Amino acid sequence: MATKLLQWLGALFVVLLVAAALFGFMVLKDRVRVVVQSDAPATGSDPTALLRDDVQVLAGRVAELQAALSQNFERLQAAIEERAAARHADVMALRREVGATKQLLDHLTQDVVAMREQVRGLPAQAAAPQPSAPTPGPQRVEVAPEVVVPAEVKPSPPAPAEPAPAVPQAKPAPGFLSFSLPTVQFRCDELQDYTLLPGLCRVGFDAKSTLHDFTGVTERVTGRFTADFDDPQGAWSGEVAVEAGSLVTGVEGRDTDMWEHLAAKEHPQIRFTIERFKPAPGGIDVAKQTARGEIEGKMTIRGQTHALTMPVRLEVDAQKRVVVTGQTPLKISDYGVPVPSQLGIINMQDEVVVWIALRARMQLKGHK
Amino acid sequence: MTHPRLARCGLLLLVAPWTGCIASNVVAAGDRLVTTPLEQLHFEVAPALALQGLYESVEIRGDAALSLRKVYYLFDARGTYTAAALTETDGVLGFQTLNGTWQSTVAGLALDGRPPVLLEQAPQHLRITAESGVLVLRAASLK
Repeated sequence: MATKLLQWLGALFVVLLVAAALFGFMVLKDRVRVVVQSDAPATGSDPTALLRDDVQVLAGRVAELQAALSQNFERLQAAIEERAAARHADVMALRREVGATKQLLDHLTQDVVAMREQVRGLPAQAAAPQPSAPTPGPQRVEVAPEVVVPAEVKPSPPAPAEPAPAVPQAKPAPGFLSFSLPTVQFRCDELQDYTLLPGLCRVGFDAKSTLHDFTGVTERVTGRFTADFDDPQGAWSGEVAVEAGSLVTGVEGRDTDMWEHLAAKEHPQIRFTIERFKPAPGGIDVAKQTARGEIEGKMTIRGQTHALTMPVRLEVDAQKRVVVTGQTPLKISDYGVPVPSQLGIINMQDEVVVWIALRARMQLKGHK
Repeated sequence: MTHPRLARCGLLLLVAPWTGCIASNVVAAGDRLVTTPLEQLHFEVAPALALQGLYESVEIRGDAALSLRKVYYLFDARGTYTAAALTETDGVLGFQTLNGTWQSTVAGLALDGRPPVLLEQAPQHLRITAESGVLVLRAASLK
């Protein structure tokens, strides 16, 4: 009996337990959430590790990008270098072309100058029907339109024949020995400013005396002038100055006396002011760049000024400098200079020959 | 004859023998221009010249002379050079500088691979004849 009671109690306990479990499930089923986790919950989701991972991924991508960029940069650099080389070759070719063109232009200019001379001679031939005598003035006016000359040169087929041999020489780059120089041509038939070159100019005088003839000379010469060889009016201007105290004759005592006579301390400069150039008939040769004529101006010695005319010759040397030479007689007593005399027996003549030997450089202005 | 005249004659006789001692120093008309010693130099063609050292221009001829005032070249035996030129443009002076290569062959002096130009040599001097001018250089020293 007691055994059966225990069995019934046991079964009842089990039923109650199942009922309690069911009741509890019903009550908590909506409140309980079952989450299944992995076997390594200790590690968890570490944000630092995630960040590290992201950084590593990014670093990898940056490395890839860098590699790709470096390749692109190398290709770009190679392309730029190729283009630069091509450009350089083009520039060199252009330079050669410019050089050839310049040479051709030089030849054409020479032709123009030659034609000018021919045209210059035409009025003289055509002067017969015209009563007025040909003068340098009208000739110049007739030649003036330069546009006409290239028009004549351009269509003439023989013109390229002359510069033809120069074409192979046109290979050098423009300028001079790789230097870039402005394209300037010496034009003596235009109004130009010239500056005397120190150390390359001499002014002196030749004197006669009882004992022997002698020359006084100096290279301390400065000045400048404005001139157009081909100006029939000869509207030149300028000034040449000489340091009186620098004149030497080769004899020390005589030099001292000369400086005293010239009053070099009171009047340290001997000056010649250019007022006009009077060309000699046929004295202008533009093609050869020479001129002959007389320079008129005023000479100042020892503070006294008088008009003076000096026959001169102008030419252009290989260094493209204008060389001016000339001489004229002059009485020193006209300028208040005492004529030297020693004991009344060794006398210097009153008249001396004043001469100039100047070199001047054309001032570049407005040339490109 | 008066005494003063006699005295002058006497003095003249005394001075006369000395006149031969004082030579005439009149400068001939053809010698009035200042000359340069370059005219006495004898240049010869210099093929395959071993250029080295500093050179300065002492003469520039031709159209280049219109705007070129002074040129310096410093040649290196390895075939490179550096150069400076004082040029005048529109009245303004300025230096141009160059660096390049040079080669002296039988054909002449080739600068920067360009066609060669005539190169001549005289003692301590070089003469380069290019298309637009002639350049005479003198050996200089760096101080």
